[in-house]
Amino acid sequence: MKSYRILAVSALCCGLLLWAAAEAPAQAVVKVGNILPLSGPSASVGLQNKQAQDMAVQEINDAGGIKSLGGAKIQMLYADSESKPEKGVAEAERFINTEKVHILTGAWNSAVSYPVSAVAERYQIPFLVPVSVADKITEQGFKYVFRIAAKDSWWTRDQFAFLKDLQAEFNTKISTLAFVYENGDWGKGFAEGWKKHAQAGGYKVVLDEPYPSTATDLSPVVQKIKRANPDVLLLTSNAADAILLTNTMAEYKVKPKAIIASGGGHADPSYLKAAGKNARYLFDIVEWETDVNKPGAKETNEKFKKLYGYNLTGESVDAYAAMYVLADALERAASTDPKAIRDALAKTRLTKGPAMIVGYDAIEFDESGQNKHAALVMVQVNDLGKGLERITVWPKASRRAGYKPVFPIP
Amino acid sequence: MNASTATATSPLRPPGSAWPSRAPLLLLLAVALAVPLFVRSATYLHILILLLLYAYLTTSWNLVGGFAGVLPLGHAAFVGIGAYTSTVLSLQYGVSPWVGMIVGGFLSTLVGVLIGLPTFKMRGAYFALATIAFAEGLRVMVENIDRLGPFLLNGPRGLQIPPLELGFGRFMFAEKEPYYYIILAMLVLAVGITWAVSRSKLGYCLAAGGEEPEAAQSLGINVARVKLVAMAISSFLTSLAGTFWAQFTLYIHPKSVMSLDISFEIAFIALIGGRGSIAGPLLGALLLRPVSDFSRIHFGDTLPGLHLVIFGGVLILVMLYQPRGLQEPLTRLYRRALARSAGMRERG
Amino acid sequence: MIYLLEDAINGILMGSIYGLAALGLTLIFGVLKVINFAHGSLLMVGMYAAYWAVLLTGAHPYLALVIVLPLMFAFGYLLQAVVIQPIFKAEREVREPITVIIVTTGVWYILDNLGLLVFGPQYRNIQDNPLRGKMIEAGEMLISVPKLWGFCAALVTAALVWLFLQKTRMGRAVRATSLDRDAASLQGINPYRIYNIAFGLGTAVAGVAGVALVPFYNVFPTVGVLFDIKCFIIVVLGGLGSIGGALLGGMIIGVIESVGPQFMTATWTEAIVYGLFLGFLFLRPSGLFGVKYDW
Repeated sequence: MKSYRILAVSALCCGLLLWAAAEAPAQAVVKVGNILPLSGPSASVGLQNKQAQDMAVQEINDAGGIKSLGGAKIQMLYADSESKPEKGVAEAERFINTEKVHILTGAWNSAVSYPVSAVAERYQIPFLVPVSVADKITEQGFKYVFRIAAKDSWWTRDQFAFLKDLQAEFNTKISTLAFVYENGDWGKGFAEGWKKHAQAGGYKVVLDEPYPSTATDLSPVVQKIKRANPDVLLLTSNAADAILLTNTMAEYKVKPKAIIASGGGHADPSYLKAAGKNARYLFDIVEWETDVNKPGAKETNEKFKKLYGYNLTGESVDAYAAMYVLADALERAASTDPKAIRDALAKTRLTKGPAMIVGYDAIEFDESGQNKHAALVMVQVNDLGKGLERITVWPKASRRAGYKPVFPIP
Repeated sequence: MNASTATATSPLRPPGSAWPSRAPLLLLLAVALAVPLFVRSATYLHILILLLLYAYLTTSWNLVGGFAGVLPLGHAAFVGIGAYTSTVLSLQYGVSPWVGMIVGGFLSTLVGVLIGLPTFKMRGAYFALATIAFAEGLRVMVENIDRLGPFLLNGPRGLQIPPLELGFGRFMFAEKEPYYYIILAMLVLAVGITWAVSRSKLGYCLAAGGEEPEAAQSLGINVARVKLVAMAISSFLTSLAGTFWAQFTLYIHPKSVMSLDISFEIAFIALIGGRGSIAGPLLGALLLRPVSDFSRIHFGDTLPGLHLVIFGGVLILVMLYQPRGLQEPLTRLYRRALARSAGMRERG
Repeated sequence: MIYLLEDAINGILMGSIYGLAALGLTLIFGVLKVINFAHGSLLMVGMYAAYWAVLLTGAHPYLALVIVLPLMFAFGYLLQAVVIQPIFKAEREVREPITVIIVTTGVWYILDNLGLLVFGPQYRNIQDNPLRGKMIEAGEMLISVPKLWGFCAALVTAALVWLFLQKTRMGRAVRATSLDRDAASLQGINPYRIYNIAFGLGTAVAGVAGVALVPFYNVFPTVGVLFDIKCFIIVVLGGLGSIGGALLGGMIIGVIESVGPQFMTATWTEAIVYGLFLGFLFLRPSGLFGVKYDW
């Protein structure tokens, strides 16, 4: 009897194998392979990216697809990296070799994007990175990597520029800083930038504290912040720890003059819901906000909110815009040859269309594949009588009309 | 304890002539050697390389986890040591990863023996938990250390190997085939070592010590020392896979090469295949890796998480129906087929 | 000095909640002699149960126990009876069947990812509950009220479990089975039924820990993993199978995690905890209150 069970299990496996082998032949479509963390600890952001891309692709296809390719439709293929580099690489290999995708996109985790960029380079398949902010990704001398988001050195640069403007605007001197960041690729990258800028700006760093983002209790870290008593606290956190930090800081009544976060967990839609009024007055750096003064932004956000029940985030707008950058490149390339797409991408200068809901006026890649216009805005979380919202405050040109930032935190 | 009783109780020495039990393994090897001739798709080669890598890891693990009768759940530490040693040496000092691989192997052996000394006195749950704590502790340390003396570890950010110089000496190839044959050769080597160990005095002592430590002790076997020798071989071999891993994915960071997931997956494969047998790790990898890869490919996009539900389900089902792993019933099946054909030949 | 005291108090309170989470694990181990790798996932299930109970009824978080306790007990009982028991029966002669460890790991994968499929990856916590964000101000010190509740819950739960084991007939049967399965079954105790009860009890205790965490902690599908290894460390520190040991072990970890960061970065305290754990394993493997014969 038992041997039958073995046979059944092996048959199941063979079935899976065959199923994988029997893929439908290619049609008149442009295949885009997208690697995202859809399960595991970063599943939440993975899903946000996926939904934004789904919406963009739907729009592009509904509008008649890629006209220069006879109305070819974009077909999105998704794969789950579980946030693991080796799985991301395996999926990239599969996309390129089996699915014969014309372009790769993803992978959110910088740790997955590095090795995937090397795979893409080897097969000469363009790899369009909406968000993975580590500087290194576009600094490997690769020809096939393009990034929409700003790199992390720009994020920290702008955080400090904002800090300077803030002091001038409110005529308040800030002299001490505390750095608290998750102990990972992303947090470490930011902390390095912060240290450099703090030294250049003559600030005194009173606390430099990495913490494990798997920590179950962050009150010890919060106590350290409280005792260091900095003027300004800079944070880099994933969602779970961002929520925990904010709530714990409120409990311990830690009130620096300002708290400046770095997007990521603080920009996660579940953050505002779970932190509630404790998040009030927090400054956060993002690439995009719902109140951005760009035509179409409001409508796009409303459409997205209707579909998925939450606001677009800076990261999902990057993912959304990336699809239009791709459509534009395909339109110009008039070919699905990866090399042609790559050359078209390199010559991108996108100034109109739905992608222009981004906070700046053009998407253009430099030599390294970095979007050179990518710009960042600072927002403040506040309640203006309609519940908590994120309000753009910096640069001043983008500030929401009539809003005056609250500083220092009352 | 003499050899014949060991044979009777130990699952690693099926009775009967050596040839028929070796035949399927040789057949498997022949198929494995020919695979790249038929499988041209890099996707499937990639999946197969990972399959062989896990078969290799599990075979190495099996020396301790299978024969010595304990459940180590921290072998990712050795994968990490191997990966980091060869990568640091090659990035900073230009040493060929092949040399780094051996250096890493010896380093792992040292660490393995040091960790084995106190832990082998423990039994069951304690040993499993101790090895988990050791591996996780090591991972946390690496995540906290950017620079260890002259060596740049880069903490949680890990190390990237730029694919600049290709070739055998640099252990880096543009094609999948060389990786495939390297890991296959490593697997053959590991299986060979396992086979030799299982037939040697060491193997008998291990099996005896694993099943009835008190009885073995009373027969004059130094159980702890025997286990240490097994641990030394096992950690050395496991470490080599770390170097392979690093050269294959070209990027390592503590959460990938030292993650608990690796340690667990090795144990799953061994138990599903049948631990303590030579074919067990191979069978386990042949079953579990495709389940994990193809279910992820097919459900990862639409129903994220379902692939791990399936993986967990397969684990439970196999354990429910074959608590000793797949190796046992398959061997029986094979024997029966062999006996039947032999019978037919006699009659014919 | 006052800082150290404040940190130590926080550590003891948080640690008692770790201890509460580990209590269920130690109970299950004490009787079944098996590490339940799915314990973190059971905690996750308990947290979701408490989250929904509080959200839908709007009641005080601890009132959710009325729903969570029986639910979790039944869940654990069934899980053991349906999934784990057959393996015990198949491997009757093995004292610590390793296959059961693998099965509990399978249960862990299944539960965590079913959580993801059913509830989605979002982080949730309850905004309006009477405990949220409450602090007691004692001079310069701040003490978290929800953690204080958790501390009391841990003590009460431990006391009740102890009373159950010592004073009731069923409890004595559980202890007998834990000491010697075969001897117990000779006395007419059905060991499998005892296993079911012990597993149900352990799961229910994980439910209490879930209730204690929900007022101040986030709920998400992989939350159990964060507590998993911590629970293993605690039970070994306290002695596998020991109730008081679990609480004390939890508090030790809590104090290290809370006081340690004042002298180093929080990332290093993790390493210290592992080091301490290994040290204990080498020097005193029976833990603080463990019984010697068990290893």
